[in-house]
Amino acid sequence: MKRLKAVIIKEFKHILRDPRSLAVVFIMPLVQIFIFGHVLSFDLKKIETIIIDYDETSLSRELSQRLAASQYYELYFSPEENAAARKDPDRAEQLLRSGKIKQFIIIPAGFARSLNHSPPATLGVTIDGSDSNIANRIYQYNERILREFSLEKSHLPNPIQVNIKMFFNPEISSPYFIIPGLVAVLMVMISALLTSLSIAREKEAGSIHLLFISPLSPAEIILGKTIPYLLVALLDGTIIFLFARFWFGVPFRGSLTILFLFSLIYLICGLSLGILISTVAATQKVAMMVALLATLLPSLFLSGFIFPLESLSPILRSFSYIVPATYFLRIIRGVTLKGAVLSHFLFEGSVLLAMSLFLLSVASLKFQSMRRSGQ
Amino acid sequence: MPTEGINSPVTPTPPSGSFSGGEAARGTGETVVAVRNLTRKFGHFTAVDRLNFTIQRGEIIGFLGPNGAGKTTTIKMLTGLLRPSSGEVTILGFDLRREIRQIKKHIGYMSQKFSLYPLLTARENVEFFAGISGLPPARIKQVKQELATLIPPALLRLQVADLPPGIRQKVALFTCLLTDPEIIFLDEPTSGVDPELRRNFWSLIYGLKTRGKTLLVSTHNLDEAEYADRLLIIHQGKIILEGPPEELLQRTGASNMEELFKQAIISHETP
Repeated sequence: MKRLKAVIIKEFKHILRDPRSLAVVFIMPLVQIFIFGHVLSFDLKKIETIIIDYDETSLSRELSQRLAASQYYELYFSPEENAAARKDPDRAEQLLRSGKIKQFIIIPAGFARSLNHSPPATLGVTIDGSDSNIANRIYQYNERILREFSLEKSHLPNPIQVNIKMFFNPEISSPYFIIPGLVAVLMVMISALLTSLSIAREKEAGSIHLLFISPLSPAEIILGKTIPYLLVALLDGTIIFLFARFWFGVPFRGSLTILFLFSLIYLICGLSLGILISTVAATQKVAMMVALLATLLPSLFLSGFIFPLESLSPILRSFSYIVPATYFLRIIRGVTLKGAVLSHFLFEGSVLLAMSLFLLSVASLKFQSMRRSGQ
Repeated sequence: MPTEGINSPVTPTPPSGSFSGGEAARGTGETVVAVRNLTRKFGHFTAVDRLNFTIQRGEIIGFLGPNGAGKTTTIKMLTGLLRPSSGEVTILGFDLRREIRQIKKHIGYMSQKFSLYPLLTARENVEFFAGISGLPPARIKQVKQELATLIPPALLRLQVADLPPGIRQKVALFTCLLTDPEIIFLDEPTSGVDPELRRNFWSLIYGLKTRGKTLLVSTHNLDEAEYADRLLIIHQGKIILEGPPEELLQRTGASNMEELFKQAIISHETP
């Protein structure tokens, strides 16, 4: 315990004595979330759209025109085709499935009457969710147009209720799910990066030999190096999350305690991955490259962050099960956007814990063999 | 037992008139290190080739050889940092392969590459190494006080990177002695240090010897060779000459160390 404490104190001092690295660790994720957050939600124009109006009142026509006139949408059908489509509503769905259009909107009969006399009036919107970014955008555009329209036509706060159906990717139910995903990606990246350097640094300097010759056990070295960075990672995670919450306005519907608890497990998992990388890599440069590659790419592409898991090939899909972000993504989206509770994520939490234990044990073994063979 | 070890670097016994030879300077006759056929290969390259030697308690061994001769590899094997490819080593009666834990309790090691964390102060380094060695808190307090007498107070607050090399070296040796080891391995402790500091450092080494420590000091610096009780001259992984410096000079008829060294290498390469 005393020896462990000595390692922890030393590690903390090292963190504080190297303010430049620390600044990188805190500023880099903010820059990334800023860039990614904005790039991934770039503005789209001329999204192919079908609007089918069963109400045929002046109000419903005005709404169609308003939607059609926006710079974002382009009507796929000519007026004649549109008239034909009214008799064959399946046609629109087929077009959506084939990728010809991105959404279709149905204004049901009685829409105007409901809006004027018994709000809310319902509107049916079906969106192609296979590209989650586009789907998000469409969702947000609809909301913007409908909000303006409602303000003009009604005094009530939400006179139009939109029934949304997402095709291919039913998970998407909020425009904000990109940003929590980014938080998940950045958290694992930073935590792995932090620890990946710590043992590699000692190897590079040669100080590792003095640790080997001391009575420190591998577990003491590894824990001593993980614990200080856990605090740094927690602080960093909090900053990233606050940035997401207040810069991008991501709503928060769940419990902070639950998010904190799972974040803690997730960060430990990332730190453990970094430690393992650190025991394998010979230099800090290599460790850093490996840590970035091992966290960033899988977390972006194989976790369900950008591509829905359903759209991955079976081989890639099986990889997604070993990506920590896959599990935390569900947790953070669930907690922030849906207000999910602890019991929903017992499985995900256990997997992350098991992963951490596995990674730490492998790192310990690797460390032990390194000490024995002296390499 | 552990207490007296630390303070000696503070008030080193100055080197006596004759550095070499003489019964007093020799070991006590108790073998503390025995090396048999010690070999280390890296792939096809044999870095250390069937070394055989013993070290007696209280001896200062000069481990002499050009860069790349296998000095560091040998020291790493003796300290348990590198697994030998073959051969046997016994240190203080413990077998290196099976009882490295026991051995570690009794040896000190100062690495050529790294001795102190440059971002920490001298005091913090000492605290750290004392901490990971498991010294009790009271003892740690004591060694910190000893450190304060070792280096000027103004330097105590500086990070090691900013300390003058001579001080840095003193502190490094001090940390290496924290656990009061019986056998001390110093891997090129004087490389990159000017001649005066080198002499000072050797007086520290002599101070340790007078307290019964056994030392193995590697160097590629021929000036230092005569400071040792006994030399092991290593070249291309093999020990090519062994014995007290004066005796070696006499035996070979060389007029100085440089000549001795050249002769040894030439006769080794053209058998």
